[in-house]
Amino acid sequence: MSGPPLLSVRGLAKRYGGVIALNGVDLDASAGELLGIIGPNGSGKSTLFDCVTGLVTPDAGRVALGGEDVTGRPLHRLAARGLVRSFQKTAVFGTLSLVDNLVAAGQARAFGGTLAAFAVGGAAGRRTATLTARALGLLDALDLAPLASAPAAAISFGQQKLLQFASCLMSEPRLVLLDEPLAGVNPLLVERMVAHIRRVNGEARTAFVIIEHNTDALLGLCARVVVLARGRVLAAGAPQAVARDARVVEAYLGGVDGQG
Amino acid sequence: MLAPLAASDYVLHVAVLSFIYLLPALGLNLVYGYAGLLSLATGAFFGIGAYASALLALRLGWPFWLALPAAGVVCAVVAVPMAVPALRLRSYSFVMVTLGFLVISESVAKNWIGLTRGDMGLIDIPRPRFAGAALTSVPQLYYLTLAAAVLAALAFRTIVRSAAGRALVALRDDETLAAAYGLDTWRFKLAAFVLGALLAGLGGSLYAHYTAVLDPLVFDVFHTLTLLTIVFGGGAGTLHGVLLGTVVFLFVPEALRVTPQWRMVLYGLLLVVFVFRLPGGLGPALARLGRRP
Repeated sequence: MSGPPLLSVRGLAKRYGGVIALNGVDLDASAGELLGIIGPNGSGKSTLFDCVTGLVTPDAGRVALGGEDVTGRPLHRLAARGLVRSFQKTAVFGTLSLVDNLVAAGQARAFGGTLAAFAVGGAAGRRTATLTARALGLLDALDLAPLASAPAAAISFGQQKLLQFASCLMSEPRLVLLDEPLAGVNPLLVERMVAHIRRVNGEARTAFVIIEHNTDALLGLCARVVVLARGRVLAAGAPQAVARDARVVEAYLGGVDGQG
Repeated sequence: MLAPLAASDYVLHVAVLSFIYLLPALGLNLVYGYAGLLSLATGAFFGIGAYASALLALRLGWPFWLALPAAGVVCAVVAVPMAVPALRLRSYSFVMVTLGFLVISESVAKNWIGLTRGDMGLIDIPRPRFAGAALTSVPQLYYLTLAAAVLAALAFRTIVRSAAGRALVALRDDETLAAAYGLDTWRFKLAAFVLGALLAGLGGSLYAHYTAVLDPLVFDVFHTLTLLTIVFGGGAGTLHGVLLGTVVFLFVPEALRVTPQWRMVLYGLLLVVFVFRLPGGLGPALARLGRRP
């Protein structure tokens, strides 16, 4: 592997009053990697994503994307550089249809600028048609095609999770951060989503960094896993090795929440 | 459409007002119904457009057909320095700043007497000319304002059906999520605000040249409340709702003149019923009714 890693996090720290959420986290993800992040509740996983994507300003530390320092850069600029994230609290555009949710998620890249989005006629119509075709393909792959024109607020929680996942793929990003994508999704669809992540990863070399409590699914999917505990990287490596690590077992059993 | 053949000048007058009001109402609908920004400045841009157009016609002798677009441009230009700081604020603070802008605009119109003649107002604002003759009769002005309303509605529909319209709804639903997918939400909000001001300014120009007189009362909060009633009562975020709301909420108060002493009481009660029975507005409620088998 030559050149800088796709995502590089160095010494990331964040405290909320007396609570230390992140205490100097170092983390790398390379292009096309499937990286899992696990850790007990309150170990700083979501804060890590928030700091990486500029939603929360870190107290210290650096975030680089493809070797370029992007610390604290706003969300939409990161998306333009090929980094897209999902949110733990399920988020969809409630009043837009499923197709429009996906087109909205892809249009910033397809149209290129705010003014271009106001354009009407030939070129704009073709761009929208391309996005719509892509959206329908994704909905089909995730068993959501029959609901394509329903408003996103009307579909089930699990279906919203799938929609959010599909939305992240619309702009063909280099790196996707998924925050608990499998939580609340029924087991059949979990399999389908895991298969879809594998396929996108294999075909488009999209890298995924995934926070997930469903450790079975995650350890099966990811080639490398990072364990966070109390705002620090406790262990990192192949899933089997990490799962046997005594410190990891201790962190989970001795943690706030035995289930993690 | 052929109402002038049958209706009285009074009914036509109310129709003209509803066509004129449609423009700022669509402006507010774009800003609130789509971008989710509750702006009380729409009424201010309506007044600024009216003054800009009237002054260009009276002081510089500009014809209506030049003063009209100029009024829109003036409002769009004024909207930028107003929006840049205001859009950094969230919900209630934003509403208060736009209210402040309305109050300041009224104050300028009252006190910059050298320009606006203050409370004395502007009179003899020239009527629009068409094919060499001034349009002075109500039926003539009916067709002019009807054409303006139709064009404004078509322009509005084009905007909200574009990718930008989708982006506005997306950021209204969840701004952080829209940004996560790369949409520059701040710029989209600014664009909606400027376009809303432009629409309001064009409406203000029509108003000034229709009534032919203008004073600082054009900035009265009454106009802003009427616009809010049209958009909320008709159906924010829809075109058909606002079209319907413009007609209903301008004609109903006039129809209630049959009982002058109870007029505003009945109107108030009607608004309360609307809020409780049709929370999404009149347009969406009728659309639901139409879908019912």
